This record gives sequence, structure tokens and C-alpha cells, in this order.
Amino acid sequence: MRPYLAVARGSTLVSMVYRFGFLAAVLGNVVYLAVAFYLWKAVYGDADTIRGLTFDQTYLYVALGSTLFIVLKTYIDWSLSHEIREGIVAIYLIKPIDFQLYMLASSVGFFLLSVVTVTVPTVLLITLVFGVSLPVSPALALFPLSLLLAFIINFCFDYGVGLSGFYTESIWGISTVKDTLVLVLSGALIPIQFFPDMIRDTLIWLPFQAVYYTPLSLITLPEEGWEHVVRLGVQAGWAVILLAAGRVFYHQAVKVLRIAGG
Amino acid sequence: MSLIHIDGLSKHFKVLNRREGLGGAFRDLFSRDYSTVKAVDGISFDIEPGEIVGYIGPNGAGKSTTIKMMTGILKPTDGTILVNGKAPYDNRIHQAMVMGVVFGQRTQLWWDLPVIESFKILKEIYKVDQKTFDEHMALFNELVDLSALYSRQVRTLSLGQRMLCDITASFLHNPPVVFLDEPTIGLDVSIKAKIRSVIEELNRTRDTTIILTTHDLGDVEALCRRIIIIDEGKILYDGGIDKVTELFGAYRTLKVQIEDFSEATLEAARDSLDHRFGPDQGITVACREEFWTNITIDQARTPLSEVLNHVLASFPVNDVRIVEISMENVVRRIYDGALQ
Repeated sequence: MRPYLAVARGSTLVSMVYRFGFLAAVLGNVVYLAVAFYLWKAVYGDADTIRGLTFDQTYLYVALGSTLFIVLKTYIDWSLSHEIREGIVAIYLIKPIDFQLYMLASSVGFFLLSVVTVTVPTVLLITLVFGVSLPVSPALALFPLSLLLAFIINFCFDYGVGLSGFYTESIWGISTVKDTLVLVLSGALIPIQFFPDMIRDTLIWLPFQAVYYTPLSLITLPEEGWEHVVRLGVQAGWAVILLAAGRVFYHQAVKVLRIAGG
Repeated sequence: MSLIHIDGLSKHFKVLNRREGLGGAFRDLFSRDYSTVKAVDGISFDIEPGEIVGYIGPNGAGKSTTIKMMTGILKPTDGTILVNGKAPYDNRIHQAMVMGVVFGQRTQLWWDLPVIESFKILKEIYKVDQKTFDEHMALFNELVDLSALYSRQVRTLSLGQRMLCDITASFLHNPPVVFLDEPTIGLDVSIKAKIRSVIEELNRTRDTTIILTTHDLGDVEALCRRIIIIDEGKILYDGGIDKVTELFGAYRTLKVQIEDFSEATLEAARDSLDHRFGPDQGITVACREEFWTNITIDQARTPLSEVLNHVLASFPVNDVRIVEISMENVVRRIYDGALQ
């Protein structure tokens, strides 16, 4: 485990080098939060609730969703495919390390740091400027665990797309499709309650909602009880399945390099 | 037992023959026409512990492919390869512990972090204990004044400084074998000398086996007692360096730019040199790039200074350069039977 802790520590240090990147992300998010505030205000109009959600609940969900989007982004899909194309990946293959764990450890730094540097200013902004209250409930205690699982699942998506760099020169198309699928089907753009019932009931069992809807609902739906536990179970299940799938995919993909040459 | 044992090793790649133009690219989508490239074609050699072996050859000769097979990145098409008694591609993680690798074109250091952080990460990756780590860092410090670079970000280092860090980093876990792939590429003369002395020192104090691939015959002359020359996937020469040094050490190429250059000038130069020094005196005249007349001279038979004086006296010369014989030239001369 120690090698990966050292790598995670290193990746945290790298993230600190790019502190202006964080600043830019936070500022961009502020603009989005303001737009979303007035957009959803207009959607609600005089209505108290839509699909059982109050304005505060929906806005909190959408605002935290866009924040999570920044926090969870690993950029592994882009960096990995670039490293494969340029042959830099050889550097990892000559090291006594597990490739997937190494990649996970090297993305965890940005995640840990941005949880603090992006989330804190956002929550302050939402509560102090827009006056939306953050409900405190026992469910909140599960949030850190759920957020970590969300990070692992999102990492698996990015890792898989990055590995496709072994087969194709450009992952631009694949990465765009992945981003769109995750954003829409995960309920990051629009809460899952707003989808038609049939679609919603299907989405609940897919890995996408485990990235945004599961952790966010712990905050925005404090009144739910065992539903949270079920969703957390689904989330943990997907994390295990996708990590395993990533390992299988890696062993297949790396053969392309090892047999056909780099 | 030898540290590296290679027997009948081959690596073949299938490459797509692309057709020309838009229509050709379109046809490539449907019918694919592959041909096999034999990057490494049945090579065999053994390397003993503590040797520094120069593994050299022109571009595309199969050097890197062999290194990639020895380091377990590529799977051989055929043949046996054992490093420290084990096949590298089947035991990748285990084998990685017993070898150090430097790819001259890439760095294994963390680009954005201070140098010392990369060493700390490598310490954990290779499970080096604190005491050994401190000892090694003290040694590296003595060799290259590493501590002066500790707090510098890797990306702010010069290419030479980065290479020194990369080389010492590859020795951190004290592996029995280190592969150095083009460690002096793109570096100036003084830093090359520094790098050579560091490699020599590490080999001497640790008894580390070093496989060195390079384009620079100076590296080989300075470091290796044995060289293996490979071309088109086959071994051309494997043996002591003395014979080869004799061969390329004696040759220099005198490049002159003669005013109003034409085919006739080349002919005139050839005749004039023949007339002055006589035939079979180890002088060849050729034109490899426009406006330059290349005169290759075997200094064992004709002193370069005399040829230079003669050329300057006989022709209106604009520019002169003296270059060491190139890798390609050495290989050509070996084909021509120079080592027999």
C-alpha cells in the first residue's frame, strides 16, 4: 500500500502547483451557480414543489452537482491516452506497480484537494449569498463514504476511456460521449425525479446515477431512510464491478502494445 | 550463470501498408494489406554480471525493440530471453524490481515536483529502506551534486541535469542490471563527459551490469569493453571494442564547401586527391548533401592535415568541417568486410 500512498501524496503536491487552475474552476462555477439560480427560479415560478421537490432542494442539488463535476473530474482519460500515444506509458510498465492502482492513486490528489478548495467556497456561496439552507441530517454522515465511491466509479469511466487509447489514435469522440452520458444519466444536470417514471426506475440501477444522484440525495433528501442504504449498496456494487472490469480491459488492451509494439 | 541470456530472439510486427491519397485511404477502410516487419530477427547473446555492453546500430536497427523485450514491455515473437534467470514479460512486476531503466527521450521523474519528491516516491515504489536510501542519496550527491537540485522542479532542469537525475534515480534500488537507452542524446560535450563518468563510477562501485544503447560512438569508446552491433534486426558484430575502435577511431570525414559546386567539382576533387596521394590511400570522396563534398580519410594511411592543406591550396573553399565517422558509416564498413 505504501507505494500508492506515496503516489497519492505526490499527486496532491502536483495539484497544489496548479492552484490557479482551482481558482479558475471556482470562478467558473460561481457563474454557473448564478445562472442556475435564476433559471430554476423561473422554472418554479409560483409553484411550491415540482415532482415533490421544493426549489431549495432542486437548487441545492443542481448547485452541488456542478461542484461535484469539478471535484470528480480526473482527466485520466486525456492524460492516459496521450501517454499511450506518445509511448510514455512504457515508463509505468517498467515499474513494480499495479497500473490501475497507480492511476487511481495519481488522481486521488486532485480529488482530495478540490473537495476542500472547491466545495467549501461553493457551499458558503450557496448558503450565504443565495440564502439556500443546507439541511443537516443523520444521512449526511454517509456522505464521505458515498463521495469516495462516486470518485472511484467516475475514475473507472475515465480510466476505461483512457485505455481505449491503446486501440485508437484519438479518444475525443469517446470521451465526449462518456461525459454526456454521465452528465445526463447520472442526474447531474437535472435531478433524476424530473425524468419520466419508467426511465427513472431504470436509471436507479445503472452506474451513472451512483456518481451524482446517490451522494447528492444524501444531502437534498434527508427524509429518506432505507432508500439511501439501498443506493449506497448499489453504488458499492458498481464500484467493485467497474474496478474489476477495468482490470480485465487493461490486460486485454496492454496486449495490443506488448504484441504489436509501441 | 549469465545475467542476461538471449537465444534466437525475434520480434515481428505486422504493419498496415497504407495506400496513397484519399481514395487509397478509403480503400484501406475495407481491405487491409499487412506486411511483416522483422524488427529483431533471431539474435543470441549472453551478458555477464558487471559488464558494460554497448548495444549500437543505426536508426531502426532493432535496438529499442530488444531493450523493450529485455525490460518486459514487449513480448517476443520467438526465442528465449532470461534476465536474472526469469522471462521478463511473464514476471513483469517481479522483474521490474531487478532492473533500472532510463529512456533518454522521456523522464521517469515527476515533471511538476521538486526532484527530491520523485526520489521519495521511487523509494516507496521500490521498497528501499531509509538507511539504504540515505546511503544512496549521499553517493549520488557526491557524484553529481544532487542536493543542489533537490528543491528544483524537474521541468526547470536543463536536459543534462534532468538526465543525471534520471540516471541516478534508476540506480536507487540497486538493481543488478540497468538499461540506458540513448542517455546522452541531445547533450553538449561537457555534460556528456559528466554522464559518462557517473555511469562508469556506478558500474564500478556497485558492480551493476549496464546495457547502453547509443548513437554516439564517443559513449561507447569511453565506457564499453564489449559492443554488440545490430542492423536490420540481426547481430553484425559482438565482441571486444578494440577492433571496432581501430576501425572508426582512425576515420574522420572532412567536409568542405567548394565555391560553384557541381558534379564536375566533385570529379575534380577526386582526381586531384588521387593525383596527390595516389590511389588506395584510404580516401573516398562523395556528396551526401548539397554543396558539401565529403572526404573520408583513413588517418592510419594519410594524415588529415595534409589532405586539408591540399584541398585548401587547390580549390576555392568557403567552409570546412571535420566530423567523426557516423554510426551508419561504421555499419557500412562492417558490411564491406572491415572486421574480417
